[in-house]
Amino acid sequence: MSEWLESAIARAQGINDWLAPKRAHALELLANTKWPTRKTEAWRYTPLRPVERTQAKVISDKVNLSPVVIADLSAIELVFVNGQFDQAQLAKALPEGLSISLGSELGSAEKADALSIFSTIKPERHIFGLVNDALAQDVVVVSVAEGVEITQPIRISSLLSQGAESHTRVQVVLSAGSRLTVIEDVQAQGDSFNTAFVEYNVAANARLEHYRFALQTGSNVAIGGSHFNLHDHAKMNSTIVGFGSDLSRLDTDIIHAGEFADAKLNAMYLLDGKELFDLHATVEHAKPNGKTEENVRCIVADRARAVFNGRIHIHRDAQKTLAELNNRNLLLSDKAEINTKPELEIYADDVKCAHGATVAQIDKQALYYLQTRGVSRSKAQVMLNFGFINELIDLMPNAALAEWIRPIIRERFAQMEVK
Amino acid sequence: MTEQIDKALAREYEAGFVSDVESETFEPGLDENVIRRISEMKGEPEWMLEWRLSAFREWLEMEEPEWALVDYPKIDFQSISYYSAPKSMKDKPKSLDEVDPELLRTYEKLGIPLIEQQMLAGIAVDAVFDSVSVVTTFREKLEEAGVIFCPISEALHKYPDLVKKYIGSVVPKKDNYYAALNCAVFTDGSFVYIPKGTRCPMELSTYFRINEQNTGQFERTLIIADEGSHVSYLEGCTAPQRDENQLHAAVVELVAMDNAEIKYSTVQNWYPGDENGKGGIYNFVTKRGICHTNAKISWTQVETGSSVTWKYPSCILKGDNSVGEFYSVALTRGRQQADTGTKMIHIGKNTKSTIISKGISAGRSNNSYRGLVRMNPGAEGARNFTQCDSLLIGDQCGAHTFPYVESRNPSAIIEHEATTSKVSDEQMFLCRQRGLDPEKAVSMIVNGFCKEVFKELPMEFAVEAGKLLEISLEGSVG
Repeated sequence: MSEWLESAIARAQGINDWLAPKRAHALELLANTKWPTRKTEAWRYTPLRPVERTQAKVISDKVNLSPVVIADLSAIELVFVNGQFDQAQLAKALPEGLSISLGSELGSAEKADALSIFSTIKPERHIFGLVNDALAQDVVVVSVAEGVEITQPIRISSLLSQGAESHTRVQVVLSAGSRLTVIEDVQAQGDSFNTAFVEYNVAANARLEHYRFALQTGSNVAIGGSHFNLHDHAKMNSTIVGFGSDLSRLDTDIIHAGEFADAKLNAMYLLDGKELFDLHATVEHAKPNGKTEENVRCIVADRARAVFNGRIHIHRDAQKTLAELNNRNLLLSDKAEINTKPELEIYADDVKCAHGATVAQIDKQALYYLQTRGVSRSKAQVMLNFGFINELIDLMPNAALAEWIRPIIRERFAQMEVK
Repeated sequence: MTEQIDKALAREYEAGFVSDVESETFEPGLDENVIRRISEMKGEPEWMLEWRLSAFREWLEMEEPEWALVDYPKIDFQSISYYSAPKSMKDKPKSLDEVDPELLRTYEKLGIPLIEQQMLAGIAVDAVFDSVSVVTTFREKLEEAGVIFCPISEALHKYPDLVKKYIGSVVPKKDNYYAALNCAVFTDGSFVYIPKGTRCPMELSTYFRINEQNTGQFERTLIIADEGSHVSYLEGCTAPQRDENQLHAAVVELVAMDNAEIKYSTVQNWYPGDENGKGGIYNFVTKRGICHTNAKISWTQVETGSSVTWKYPSCILKGDNSVGEFYSVALTRGRQQADTGTKMIHIGKNTKSTIISKGISAGRSNNSYRGLVRMNPGAEGARNFTQCDSLLIGDQCGAHTFPYVESRNPSAIIEHEATTSKVSDEQMFLCRQRGLDPEKAVSMIVNGFCKEVFKELPMEFAVEAGKLLEISLEGSVG
């Protein structure tokens, strides 16, 4: 076991609050978990040295930070500063049918509900998920009442000052027939360490639109997860945009717990420098007639390393499932590295499942074509890279977010090209 | 439907008989003395014993791999006998006339007559029975061409330098748990050397037979194709029907020097156990080849037997422009479990690899493809294409795909695709409408599914493989 984990466990042992039984359970599991090494399948390509070396500390003094502004978004802001929920930044009046509160401030019935979901959607296999169980200061519970459509998106931002450590936890509950858009975002100033986990329970016929932006770069360690439980006829559409840092790891789990659920996941990551980004996307089809469509695209430049693990697991009962995963990767430099593993585990026969993965560089003919049309080589490269990613940005349902992210990505490609 | 399939699949294992041959078998157990005794029985040179012992010491420190998607009780390595040979083989018969007729009958029953006149012309056979090689046919004819084809135990006497140079050069001693065990206790297997610029005049073949109870078979095959040479090698295997599990842990090493080509085909038909998963062979095999400049290694396998299969024939594409191929059909039924696939390690420039894997799962079986394609930084312009298709027959089986794709060279191109499907009602309807009975229809559909692989097999094997599948799938749809 690493020193870092030992100290984390020691800190967690002192906490006694409404989450105590859950924390105790996590600590018990942690005590029996081996610190991941290259031989640990889930961390095979992602060395944990940056965690072992982190100097990040919990900062309890009040720091004023606010999330970057996204034009035309007008979101309901749910802000964590250095791991603490900043109630001051939450709108006083929320739309009808929407509630946002700290778990510790809920009534006992609601507390019991929250506890019944806590760590049931996020799988127990994730070592840092367990750390988050043990160390998250509280749980912010977002819930939408039955049949209500919340038009304003909710934006969950975790903000970290220089050298800060934070563990944030959110639970989002969509009651039957409701609709909600959630944006997850981490912004860190450097030398930080954060774990950010969100669990979504999407009830029958509810619809979730989800975004996760992991745009912090540099000397930050960011480990997190978005985990979804879909009931009958529930629908979700998720978009993930990631840049790498010293260590960025994101786990998504989509569980088809009901029939006729429909999930779409579009993920793109663009890595530069010595960055590392690791996406582990798992889909569990536990019930029949589910549908999953995943598109993962990745561009890796310089000495960066990209890791993708896309697992689709079709359980015995999940007949008539349709599941597809498409993973395309571009390697831009001879020092860059891509490790991808699309997995299928299928126990039902009447299903249609397929995955495809490609690794290549930019199409030389396309590059040549653009150059013959008078576009400089570097500009042509940016155009082609951007086109590769833009296909997924075009699929983002929220126009304001698409407009916001497009220039950020373009800028990143321009920077990649300069090197 | 599942019930009918299970019933239809409960066919006899044709190679399940036991030969009544008096054997000399070691007491079960494994320690350094056992290894010394094996080495002594074989009259091996001192360095070979040292090599075995150092592998054994490494093995003691190693852990059994647990990453494969297979489930079996822990093997008690002390309950296995590591050497068993027919008594009649002790005096080293000089010619076929001196070989125990019961042994010859065994191979005849398996459809492998060892008398040259009766054989299909053009295939030389090395017949390995438990821990010894019984006979190697057509040796004179091969010697004329300069080809060495003999049991590895014999090669250790006659060509010690060649063996010493290449053994363990492709699969190192401590490569993995079962390979290390094999290094320590291997008994026999085939040795092939094709001299420079020679095209081997006939197909070479080794037939492995486990007969004795409570033994394991640990064979070792080493094939060296010198510059510009060509060889096609076939491997077959069967075992009696028993309630106990038996271990088969083999190592196969291929060396393809510059411009050489090795084609290695396997039809694996070890006893798969009964419908409830009782008995059967644990087939834990390490097969790997190294390709030098412009060389080519092609693995083709048809896996229908064994209760548990753990096997990844691989290619190290070290030389520029070298080519690796892997064509596989794996059929599991009953309670069989197969975790098989390949590794293609691209090191040289412009190296190419093709992987075609067809998995068919029926009954309550599980069938996994596990593969690795790695492009090293120097693999300029390398190319890989992988296709993994799974066919499910019945709703109690599983089909899985675990491809690892690692690229460190931007000019390398990797393409991987995988699909899963079942024998559809539409396909069946169409065939039946055309007057085919359901059994024929399934067999035709499955044969079509596997066609890309079968066409890679040498003719005699393609026929055998087709037949094997047909028998296995007999009446699988009602």
